[in-house]
Amino acid sequence: MMKKLFLLSFIASFLMIGVAMAQNTTVTGKVTDESGTPLVGASVLVKGTKVGVTTDAQGSFSISVKANQTLEFIAVGYESRQVSTNSKTFNITLKADIKSLSEVVVVGYGTSIKREITSSLVRIKGSEVQNTPVPSLDQAIQGKAAGVFVESQSGKVGEGIKVRIRGSGSVNSSNQPLYVVDGIPLASGAIGSSTADINFNDVESFEILKDAAASAIYGSRGANGVVLITTKRGKAGKTKFNLNVQQGTNAPTRKRGFLNAKEYVDYFLMAAANDAKYHYYRADNYWGYNNVQEAVDEAQDWVKGRFNRYSGISSANTNGGGQDWKTGTFNNNWEDQAFQEAKVSQYELSAQGGNDKTKFYVAGNMNRQDGILVKNGFERMGARVNLDNQVNDWMKLGVNLSLTKIVRNNVPEDNAFETPMQITALAPITPIRDANGKLFNTPVATYYNPLIETEEASNKITAFRNQGQIFADMKLAKGLTAHAELSLDMVTQNQEVWKGPRTLAGNGTADQKGLATSYWYRNARWMTNNYLSYNKVFADKHKIDVVAGMSYENLEQNSAFVEGQDFPDVALKTLASVATYTNGDGTFNENNLISYFGRANYAYNGKYLVGLSARRDADSRFGTSFKNGNFGAVSLGWIATEEKFLQNISWLSFLKPKASYGTSGNNSGLGFYDARTQYGSATYGTSGGLAISNFGNDDLRWEKVTMLNIGVDFGLFNNRITGEFEWYDKVTSDMLLNVPVPSMSGTTSVYGNVGEMSNKGIELTLNTINISNKDWRWTTSFNAAKNKNKLLKLDGEQKEVLPSSARYANALIVGQPIGVFYAPIFLGADPANGDPLYRKADGGTTNTYSEAGKFIVGNPNPEWIGGITNNVSYKGVELSFMFQGVFGNKVQNGAGGFMSASGEWFDNQTRDQLNSWKNPGDVTMVPEARLAYNGDWGFMGGTNISTRYMEDASYVRLKNVSLRYSVPQKVLTNLKISSAQIYLTGVNLATFTKYTGWDPEVNTDYRAGNVNQGSDFYAAPQIKSWVFGITIGF
Amino acid sequence: MKKIININLFLSLVLLISGCEKKLELSNPQSIDASTALSTDDRVKKALIGNYAALGSSSLFGGDVLWMSELLASDNELNWVGTFPDPRQIIGKAIFTNNSNVSSTWSAAYGVIFNSNNILGAIDVVKAADKNKVKGEALLQRALVYFELVKFFGEKPYVAGSPDQLKGVPLITASGPAAPQDVFYQLSRASVAAVYTQVLADAVEAESLLPNTNGVYLNKAAASLLLARVYLQQANYTAARDAANRCITTATANSFGLMTNYEDAFNQSANTKEDLFAMQVTTQAGSNSCFIFFSTSTFGARDGDIEVTDKHYDKYTSGDARKDLFFYEADAYRAGKWRDNYKNVKVMRLAEAYLTRAECNARLSTNVGATVSSDLNQTRSRAGLSLLAAPTLQDVLDERELELAFEGQGAWDAKRLKLSVDGKAYNDDKMTFPIPLREMNVNKNLEQNPGYAN
Repeated sequence: MMKKLFLLSFIASFLMIGVAMAQNTTVTGKVTDESGTPLVGASVLVKGTKVGVTTDAQGSFSISVKANQTLEFIAVGYESRQVSTNSKTFNITLKADIKSLSEVVVVGYGTSIKREITSSLVRIKGSEVQNTPVPSLDQAIQGKAAGVFVESQSGKVGEGIKVRIRGSGSVNSSNQPLYVVDGIPLASGAIGSSTADINFNDVESFEILKDAAASAIYGSRGANGVVLITTKRGKAGKTKFNLNVQQGTNAPTRKRGFLNAKEYVDYFLMAAANDAKYHYYRADNYWGYNNVQEAVDEAQDWVKGRFNRYSGISSANTNGGGQDWKTGTFNNNWEDQAFQEAKVSQYELSAQGGNDKTKFYVAGNMNRQDGILVKNGFERMGARVNLDNQVNDWMKLGVNLSLTKIVRNNVPEDNAFETPMQITALAPITPIRDANGKLFNTPVATYYNPLIETEEASNKITAFRNQGQIFADMKLAKGLTAHAELSLDMVTQNQEVWKGPRTLAGNGTADQKGLATSYWYRNARWMTNNYLSYNKVFADKHKIDVVAGMSYENLEQNSAFVEGQDFPDVALKTLASVATYTNGDGTFNENNLISYFGRANYAYNGKYLVGLSARRDADSRFGTSFKNGNFGAVSLGWIATEEKFLQNISWLSFLKPKASYGTSGNNSGLGFYDARTQYGSATYGTSGGLAISNFGNDDLRWEKVTMLNIGVDFGLFNNRITGEFEWYDKVTSDMLLNVPVPSMSGTTSVYGNVGEMSNKGIELTLNTINISNKDWRWTTSFNAAKNKNKLLKLDGEQKEVLPSSARYANALIVGQPIGVFYAPIFLGADPANGDPLYRKADGGTTNTYSEAGKFIVGNPNPEWIGGITNNVSYKGVELSFMFQGVFGNKVQNGAGGFMSASGEWFDNQTRDQLNSWKNPGDVTMVPEARLAYNGDWGFMGGTNISTRYMEDASYVRLKNVSLRYSVPQKVLTNLKISSAQIYLTGVNLATFTKYTGWDPEVNTDYRAGNVNQGSDFYAAPQIKSWVFGITIGF
Repeated sequence: MKKIININLFLSLVLLISGCEKKLELSNPQSIDASTALSTDDRVKKALIGNYAALGSSSLFGGDVLWMSELLASDNELNWVGTFPDPRQIIGKAIFTNNSNVSSTWSAAYGVIFNSNNILGAIDVVKAADKNKVKGEALLQRALVYFELVKFFGEKPYVAGSPDQLKGVPLITASGPAAPQDVFYQLSRASVAAVYTQVLADAVEAESLLPNTNGVYLNKAAASLLLARVYLQQANYTAARDAANRCITTATANSFGLMTNYEDAFNQSANTKEDLFAMQVTTQAGSNSCFIFFSTSTFGARDGDIEVTDKHYDKYTSGDARKDLFFYEADAYRAGKWRDNYKNVKVMRLAEAYLTRAECNARLSTNVGATVSSDLNQTRSRAGLSLLAAPTLQDVLDERELELAFEGQGAWDAKRLKLSVDGKAYNDDKMTFPIPLREMNVNKNLEQNPGYAN
């Protein structure tokens, strides 16, 4: 926004020079929007001349014109109007422009007119996502932009959000886009999502840069696309206050259900009997039972012993409070215990205003989101000040300052026994508490009881993010401006963990008296951006816009860690009270980046467009053989509708074919010192030693992404239908890979720029105005994108990195998408004997897992993604609803081997396991229930990863529904307020999917990565929210 | 005028920053560059300490090689009831090639070998007075892990005959190329015999170089005991007896000896006089995975994943101090040797040397060092048992089983004594680990063990 104003004021002052030249009649008037609010800074131009003025703080203007000249009114975000000057005073109303092609958009180091853009860029206005009850801006824009895939890993609040712009380009580097807030790249913290640090109600617009022409100017960081975040700025005029209050609730999207107590008891007795029979008949009976009944009885007796233990009625439980499992009357639904009642609230007050000389925007915000999981929570408090001061006619100064505090109550990762969702593994015959009110734990519970974490543990992460920036824009000569800025982005995080004596960690200490850790992390980036901009129109036909500059960034990361064990008392919880300090760490890392960049745009006659951009990055992390990375792009566009031969086609309002080609890079896969082979410390006993800490490579450098983008922007029927269609071909080369090597080399893998990856796709965006009249307005925005990802090359010799996990099947196979599932095909239970049956490589079948063939059985990357938003308004009532969908991907349930395991062990089972094979001839996908008691039927055979635990995870979700009512002006006037709105918003209200797990939008946090996608492992379902809110302007 | 000043400021800022090219040369404050990491006497010695840390990783002598051996030889004397599937595969002799414990042990072992090779390659910068000691330790570190590798991954036990034709593990005894991806490292498997030869060569040289005492680090008696173990696997009883005899002679002359009470030999955070070599575990460094799996949550471990069954417990006569060391928790007996957290992992106890010497003397009808009866009664009397005047070979073997129970010798004693385990012959294909899938995937020269498909 700052840049927009800058550009406008530049144009305005440029035009003022012309004012003095012509003097005839003076026309005055006022420009307002549809609600009557004055539009400040709107341009008033005399058509066909260089004469023009801008409106003042009251929206008023005064301009000299000759007779019969036409005036043109232009304001950002409004449809422009032309009016003939047949009267001396008049009031002009400009209509708000929903998706105007004349819109000004933010681009790298400047702004541009959307109409003349030759790159691929999506603009999302801040107002479109305002007040969405989600913690992070990525979640707020989910489904809104074509080709931008957003996935929350789980329903843990405020963490783990995957964003992919045009697919995954890398195996080992980050595939997340670069976020740039008012020109400052957002430094990431150590824990949690950084984008959650931004209060997106302060955001004026998001510009998502998708192709090389748009992102090459961000050089070695632009390859994954760039999200430019521009915050709100003040407008001259009366100070306007805005108060915003929101309240609501969070709930899980789904609970999946497990066996109840009676089913559990019956199922495991059956599983024990089946195992005994297997041993007797099929495993040579080597324990020497006299008859099969004896084998069955022994196994079942043992299981009953286990039931006594799990129900708390065995001698192992001396506290009492057990429940008899035999009667079937006691049933504990543990799944319900994983969740809590969760509330959402937001309070916000902002003010903006100023005069011609100084403008301000100030805002304060408090946002609280309880997680759906017990003890999970997120809170954000923030304050922002954006100031602009016009020092004199050639210099403008500005300050942006924001300070945010984030508090997260973290729950452990999905694979930890302590995480709430793993509570579902506990037996339904186990009561929650014993007779003394103490939570049952092992050995009564089958596993550690995660509820202990709610009573005797805390895990709190506090983060402070401070972004500060001062800048100056100086007009050096006609059309030539210098911009200089100095910025600081600092995030300080602190994680305080306390684990009481009963917790898993707190019991694992020397004296079993608890544990505490403190982790402190600071990531501070200071940077300066300095560039010159030159704009000029030569001979009315040649419009040029050039930017050239440099930047320097320094990034420092400090961390410290302390662990202590054994508290004298359970009431003492901080490190000050521990008996022994057991661990400590402190590190410092630094990175420097020196860059030169430039951009040039040329438009001929308003219809032929050329764009060039380039950047050179010198990064201290690159290997000695590659110190500089050079990136660049070229783009072309043709506004065909400016040609005479197309101007007669009445239904075609706008047509612009465009193409771009260029390179950008990705440096995120390189640690600051990865290029060097180094020794670090290795302690033995109490002696310090040395050991290799990194196997380096002097050739390490950025990954290079080359992208070709061809598209067309169009407007039909007087721009009632506008849209874009784009095709792209994006190739990553020099891709960093952790190339697995034989252990004899001293390591198991080494890093190198060896791979190649391809992403090809199409994107379609359509915006339509379906109905627009005095009372009714109905608009639709639709976007869809298809991306095909393909791994082209690993290290050259190697063709695949195959999965070696027993629970997951993600592979890297040349010619296949990243993370493709490679696993045995499961054919269900063998109808003859109930064994799990698999496809052999030769096409036959086998009931021995190790003899099963492995096949490419699924893709964790979606084929299609899309979203459709409808806005319907009638007078002051507005309803908007958005569906968002993901199609063609599969999810593997890594916990299937525990929770859907035909009763292999005592984990509570999913309900589908009741359909296990029972009699010869049964056709079912669930093998015979067999407990691993005698343990001779090939353990794990049926529970190792296979298509048994994979499902189609396509879904369509009613992502967002919002109903708003604007209080009529009449009422407002009586209340002496300028605007008031009440609204009801729901998020993730309904999900349509075949996936039988908790939620198809999932990727378990403990292993989430570029390759490890589409995995479920006790991941929390997504959050369904309802909020009610009021916005008042005065 | 003001405008000019501002422009000058702007330009000088640009120039100032452009001149900072040396800001691009940053080195890691936490590390030493490899080119100089082994360049001085002190740094080589520190790397040697680093290799003890590697040796003590949980995948090696930090516990895994001990409990994996015991699970493999469980014969229903142990039960795995934990939720981890990988150890369950080991006790069930149904190991998948992607078993994580198996592949971690392989990788960790070659990590130690890599370090030893680098230290030996830089041995000339060590000052003359310490050179023998450093070299001896590095050689013995290497011998220890090669011996574990060949026992776990060798196609068949050494004693099964024709060790020349049996596939062992790849041998690498000097630093290779700096780039780990070099094809040089795609080594094929050396024969079982060749690996034994290498282990013996390293251990023999180490025995000659190492000092009699060496703090918590490897010493001469440990080298002798390793030799005794190797010869015993080869059924070379004469050499095993003599090595055990050297071990006892060196140890007892240097203040090593059996602890008075059996239980005092275990759950110690400092080495006892009985420890010839133990991995050091503190709250801050080192790991003890035997504790994790054998002990129970009462003592801060997991839930008692490994249970000791009556079959084993009943082998002790009442009054045996070793029987009293077991404790009953969570419905089963537990090995008290591994009860407590942050305690050293026993790799070599002097008691083993007495039992090896006794066994060999019994087999060879000799009395080298001491009589069979005298050696056997060292541990029997400590356990509170009656003394045997004329012990048989079986008496010695029985005593060995009880004295050393669950300390990692289970599978190797079962194999050399050709016992069947859980219905499987000592040389059954499934009594050997598979070559890890990840190694097979990256090294086309590796061949899988028989009985394992992929």
